[in-house]
Amino acid sequence: MSATPLPDFQIETFAPFRASPPAKHTAPDVERDLLATLDPLGSRGRLWIASLLAVCAIAFIAWIYQLRFGLTVTAMRNYVSWGVYMTNFVFFIGISHAGTLISAILRVTDAGWRRPITRMAEAITVIALLIGASSVVIDMGRPDRLLNLIIHGRLQSPILWDLVSVTTYLTGSFLYLYVAMIPDMPMLAQHARDRGRSRRLVRLYELLSLGYRETPAHRRLLARALGAMAVIIIPVAVSVHTVVSWVFGMTLRPGWHSTIFGPYFVVGAIFSGTAGIITAMVVFRRAYHLERYLLPEHFHKLAKILLVLSLLYAYFTLSEYLTAWYGGLESDSRLLGLLVGNTAFGRSFWLWAIFGLFVPIGLLLFPSHRSVRSIMIASVLINVGMWWKRFLIVVPTLETPFIPAQAAGIAPRYFPSLVECLITAGAFAGFLLLFTLFSRLFPILSIWETAEDAEEVKPTVRTDHAFTGAGRARSRVIPATLAIALLGCGVAAAVAPFSAARAQTAQAKAVIELTRTTEDKQEMLVAKVTANGLAVKGATVAFSVKRTFGFMALGEDQTLDDGTAAVAFPTALPGDSKGELTFRVALRSPPELDGSAADVKLAGAPARPWPSVPPRALWSSRVPLAVPVTIGFLVLCVWSTYAFVATQLAALRNLKEEN
Amino acid sequence: MPPRKDSEGGDRKPMTMQRRDFLRAGLVAAGGVVAGTGATNSLKSGDAVDDAKAPATLTLTADGELVVSSALSDAGTRPTSDEVRRGVPGRRWVMVIDLAACDGCGKCTKACAKSHFVPSDREFIRVFSMEDSSSAAPYWFPRPCFHCDNPPCTRVCPVGATFKRQDGIVLIDNERCIGCRFCMAACPYSVRAFNWSRPDNPPAAVARGYSPEWGYPRRVGTAEKCDFCADMAREGKLPHCAANCPMAAIWFGDENEDAVTNGKGDTVRLSALLRDRAGFRYMEELGTKPRVHYLPADNRRYPAPGEPGANTGHQTRGAVQQ
Repeated sequence: MSATPLPDFQIETFAPFRASPPAKHTAPDVERDLLATLDPLGSRGRLWIASLLAVCAIAFIAWIYQLRFGLTVTAMRNYVSWGVYMTNFVFFIGISHAGTLISAILRVTDAGWRRPITRMAEAITVIALLIGASSVVIDMGRPDRLLNLIIHGRLQSPILWDLVSVTTYLTGSFLYLYVAMIPDMPMLAQHARDRGRSRRLVRLYELLSLGYRETPAHRRLLARALGAMAVIIIPVAVSVHTVVSWVFGMTLRPGWHSTIFGPYFVVGAIFSGTAGIITAMVVFRRAYHLERYLLPEHFHKLAKILLVLSLLYAYFTLSEYLTAWYGGLESDSRLLGLLVGNTAFGRSFWLWAIFGLFVPIGLLLFPSHRSVRSIMIASVLINVGMWWKRFLIVVPTLETPFIPAQAAGIAPRYFPSLVECLITAGAFAGFLLLFTLFSRLFPILSIWETAEDAEEVKPTVRTDHAFTGAGRARSRVIPATLAIALLGCGVAAAVAPFSAARAQTAQAKAVIELTRTTEDKQEMLVAKVTANGLAVKGATVAFSVKRTFGFMALGEDQTLDDGTAAVAFPTALPGDSKGELTFRVALRSPPELDGSAADVKLAGAPARPWPSVPPRALWSSRVPLAVPVTIGFLVLCVWSTYAFVATQLAALRNLKEEN
Repeated sequence: MPPRKDSEGGDRKPMTMQRRDFLRAGLVAAGGVVAGTGATNSLKSGDAVDDAKAPATLTLTADGELVVSSALSDAGTRPTSDEVRRGVPGRRWVMVIDLAACDGCGKCTKACAKSHFVPSDREFIRVFSMEDSSSAAPYWFPRPCFHCDNPPCTRVCPVGATFKRQDGIVLIDNERCIGCRFCMAACPYSVRAFNWSRPDNPPAAVARGYSPEWGYPRRVGTAEKCDFCADMAREGKLPHCAANCPMAAIWFGDENEDAVTNGKGDTVRLSALLRDRAGFRYMEELGTKPRVHYLPADNRRYPAPGEPGANTGHQTRGAVQQ
């Protein structure tokens, strides 16, 4: 891969911004300036951390309160069963895509201007993922049973896909963040030693440095590790937001069951993630006085990416809702009536479309009007808007179920409760707090990469395309007879098929024999009634067959002079486990015989076989083999790349011993 | 599968005195039914429904022995966790709801709520007032859980807490459920409810002890729904909604037996009923393959919703719910 980051091309392309002072710093400047960000905080910085801690503490108390009383302290109810916690989950997972896109894609394409941005982007990924994952735990009714996901996990469930891909992404982004920090660690250790910081901190930096030194051997190993991570993390990131969207997309609900939900969420994630990193850049630029390093050019380049993404998101939004609206399915129309019609949600949707999409597009569209300030405003609008857009994805669908709740006099409404608002505030505060603390421990701009930029040395990081292959990796049971109610007169007698049974009542001593015969090619059920040894003529015989919950009438017939009465045999009627049918023959007349009855078993149609194991199916307890095979293959590809990176780091560590 | 433990304690008590007394009373009552039926001189089909009301079932074997069986009799007959997961062998429980007969009185909901100790914020069988188009008259639409053969809820459950049995019933194991509510989002019929707050379990619910077949005593933070009265079906008794429907609009049975029975004790052939009355399943296009069939609301035997004399009960019941 080409080493030089296309300087000529850059200057031409970004000519409008050459008015801003070009980077004139040298490597020692960079080291001094960036290490200075680790200096003790002033009173404003301390106040900032203290207030974030306070918000987190309040949110923690709110969470304890929620654990004590259950999710009833939220505004979620049986119809709208997901709310802002789910919104936060989607939002933070989305923000986490900042790191991947900016850092990995720019690293893979070797864009030189990425260098002051990568560290921040990678840190956002890790921190946002931690917050997003905890949002799910907060949303759970039984967080104490979290381990059931591992003990009883079902691979058919998109939640398991989430678990696998978020864990993989979190591990990967930790590793990626760390590998890119290794060359800074010796500097940090030295700096901490010089400043007389605690020995434990120095020890931490030394431990993390793995004995890295600026030697060709070290650089080569690091470059291979970083190149492999940069490639593999891109498909992992795409998979994460795809399966997050599938938590919604795999259901049948209007507004969720959409084929474009995967890419729609991925674009939305990169969109809000890019806006997130611009916002973070603005904040850190001001807080740590990094104007010399975070140049307007960086903002302008990111602004172009953000513009493309906002147009892309507008396009996806249009295709998602226009097709639903034009098609006009009843369920879709009901949802759209709520989502884009003249309702509270509808008005907020259009407010989002204007201020979360069109205004930012306008601010970003014209190069002559782009400034750090306008880019920042666009980014903040996009961030706020994308949180709300996620809310509009989660809630209105739940308020418009297929069977309208209004038909039962119920109006599902959702507006977050105080506890939900406090915990949401805590999630944001926690994100900012972790980000701030990270920037206290490690320089928020990568020293070695920024210095590299300053000196225009040949980039040490090469993308090793050997890893793109991995990157593509994206009973018959004998039924126990039920307890059968045979209350009533008569004695149940189990008899062999086609044989007769006798039943007597003490009252009239009627005897009923039942047989199955074929008359004129028709299967008949024939009862012969005798009393005191004589055939009974003219008696009314009611035939029925026993079913689990009652006797099913087959018909009535009068006995002939030979004492027989007959109805058609229910040939296709399934019998019990042995294929036997229990018939009840009762006499309705003459009065002296009324009430006589007999229960007789005859062979009927065979019972249906009872499968000894459930089939392999998505709904079943047995997973279709394609699911674990696919997931296993993808996981293996990604984790073997992680393992490769780990071996490079181990080699890096061993180099120290050789020297 | 590891043996399930009682996570909240105290629910697996052995049979209490109260229950033993109840059983004794049940035996006496059942004996009375035997005597009464023996004395009566008309034997109609449907006397089995009397059995269904007896708390214990007496079986007279060919040898003349009286066999007592009841889920309440002792802990030994409580279905094991394996039996609960597999269902009753050889059965395919099925329900048919006659929309032409339902007058929207809501007695099914009430009977169900009483027997399952259902809290007031939910209904396992909910009666909707439906109108297919502005030119068609409205009708009442009782909606239990459909116990789909292709259930969207059990697909998405991450821990197998909700499961499909081989007798067709979809149940929830509240001792395994993690409360993610994915099943609630996935159910297109909004059947499922959630224990948002710590449940107020009545003593009778606690005394019986937990089984997914009846779903109580309730656990906070877990989902629940209509269970087709799995424990009743196991004993050959109609579900509470069917047994208590004054219009006999709810039929229940075993598809393998090709028969369904209603609350009046009429038993008819399932295939003939669905064929002759043009039975259908709600939203067949969703592909969920419900085990609940409907008979169309033609030639209704009641005033349609909104007409003079029509029931409106469910609307006030639902007003407080969300």
